[in-house]
Amino acid sequence: MERVRSGLATIAARYTIEVVLVVLVIVLLLTSSSFGTSDNLNGVLRQSAFVGIGAAGMTLLIVSGAFDLSVASLLAVCGIAAGKLVGDVGVVIAVVAALLLGAGLGSVNGLIVSRLRVPAFVATLGTQYVYLAIAYIWTNNQVVVVSNTTFLALGAGSIAGIPTPFLFMIGTYLVCWYLFWRTRYGRHVRAMGSNEQASLIAGVPLERVRVATFALVGVCTALAGVLLTGLVSSADGTVATGYELNVIAAVVVGGTSLNGGRGTLAGSFAGALFFTLVSNALNLYGVGSYWQYVVTGLVLVSALGVEGLRRRFWLETI
Amino acid sequence: MSTTTVPRSPLGRLSVRRLLDVLQSAGLLAVLIVVFVVVSVLEPHFISGASLKTILVNSSQLAVCGVGMTMVIALRGIDLSVGSVEALAAVVAAKLSSTGTPLALAIAIALLAGLVAGTINGLIITQLRVPAFVATLGMLSIAQGVALLYSNGGSFLVSDRAFTAIGRDVVLGVPLPFVIALLALIAGWVLFNQTRFGRHTAAAGDNEEAAIASGIRVRSLIVAVFAIVGLTAALAGVLVTAQVGDVDATVGMGFELNVIAVVVLGGTSLAGGRGNLPGTVLASVLVASINAALNILGVQTFYQYLAVGLLLILALALEAFRDRLTGSRPSARPGV
Repeated sequence: MERVRSGLATIAARYTIEVVLVVLVIVLLLTSSSFGTSDNLNGVLRQSAFVGIGAAGMTLLIVSGAFDLSVASLLAVCGIAAGKLVGDVGVVIAVVAALLLGAGLGSVNGLIVSRLRVPAFVATLGTQYVYLAIAYIWTNNQVVVVSNTTFLALGAGSIAGIPTPFLFMIGTYLVCWYLFWRTRYGRHVRAMGSNEQASLIAGVPLERVRVATFALVGVCTALAGVLLTGLVSSADGTVATGYELNVIAAVVVGGTSLNGGRGTLAGSFAGALFFTLVSNALNLYGVGSYWQYVVTGLVLVSALGVEGLRRRFWLETI
Repeated sequence: MSTTTVPRSPLGRLSVRRLLDVLQSAGLLAVLIVVFVVVSVLEPHFISGASLKTILVNSSQLAVCGVGMTMVIALRGIDLSVGSVEALAAVVAAKLSSTGTPLALAIAIALLAGLVAGTINGLIITQLRVPAFVATLGMLSIAQGVALLYSNGGSFLVSDRAFTAIGRDVVLGVPLPFVIALLALIAGWVLFNQTRFGRHTAAAGDNEEAAIASGIRVRSLIVAVFAIVGLTAALAGVLVTAQVGDVDATVGMGFELNVIAVVVLGGTSLAGGRGNLPGTVLASVLVASINAALNILGVQTFYQYLAVGLLLILALALEAFRDRLTGSRPSARPGV
């Protein structure tokens, strides 16, 4: 069936979000004079990096057949850790410590899911509260202010004209892509997501893969937390409220199936850029910020709705 | 996708399941009693009428919306939009009431808004084949936007005394919001346990394909159940407005996860197929009691997150253990 279609239609079907993204960029370039300015483009790239970096790890986790709702709190805790440490131990150690903390908290999620057999949805719903409490208790509900200029440059600076967070985003996707497609671990992730029972019989170490994937989400999220803390030069418990749903939305719009087994990192990358571009476009056209919520929701629903309708009327008849 | 199942007669498993459901509710009750005993020893004021009233009032929004959410989860769905729908209903009721609309009409329109939002969720899921998680995530954003647009980002002070009285009145010693929650529980319980609609909901949540094959109109069922949860979210929104008297479009932030937490704590499995409505209401009271207890003990309020989070993980770890004991399938992803 795929082969019967013309090449163009196949590309449009397989790379839906990427095609939509390119079309949107072209339309914006043609219709808005301020879109193409380097200030605006850099703003879009910088903005998209925070959700984008989290979405990289989340893609692997969703492919493996799990979810993580705790990332907003996890991001806050790691941002706070980096912010508190950076004054005493310097940027490098603070960042490494934050990433390790992310891996640790992610592993806790993974262990609760695999050892205690709590469904990922509820386990991470629980740790979302626990990590939020840690963030509040650690800071005593105060804002942690950061002033180290090198650290701030991680979120707010640019290298060779490209925003640093976006460079980190590209790096994260390269690493995740390599893990996903070029390692045995990546094969295990895909196998586990498409059929857990079968992959267990085939010898996939389910528990280790599960914990490792949650840890990967933890590291990605911690990195986003460090960069966000750098950008806003402060950290507190509520810095990323709603982050989990934005990340999942980017992954899903990118074409990764919530049923596990298959997913695309390029799609998640494009998905994160897409949501930032939509809100940028609405800003440029002078659409009020309240409408952005409505449009974002409509975009999310129609992205999957179009696919659903296609399946319903062309491929099956139930 | 059946996994290791212990052979057991259906009847036997059913009665064991019933027994364990009762035990789960008893466990919640035991935790509740422990909280009350410990806190009253430390701080005798805790067992005062005023503090009990606060607990019941604060639990009622979670309980009301939890009734609808229990049914959605029993159907193996999920609704992430209840916080935004609650906020939408809250500002609709507050704005209409503060601009002179008769109270009954203002409340009716607010409830209708929730019913419409829920129905749209159901239609997106059934007609566009969008997974419930994503469909309601979209509605979360849309309803939030509509609430902000309708309120123009401002807040409304309710001046109608009759409206704020709903949040303060007491019926036979019980605060009116909690009476409303109990009425919602009774209505939900009858609908879910005593009607064909409820049996079909559980059947479709347990095995959708089998339900379709046996002639259950699963699509209409999904739309109806999502409409119900939209209605209960809106009712929670009306209660917020009545209790607070001054609301804006951000009142429902994070509400969805709190509601899902009490439903799960109450003993409803995300695997679908069954729902424990009294457990949901009991869990709402437990969460409100923990908050009140920490409050009266002078513990900073953010420790409540720690308590709720740990309780949730513990309860579910016990449930997973129980499922292995009864040989039922492990809880699956909430996709519909």
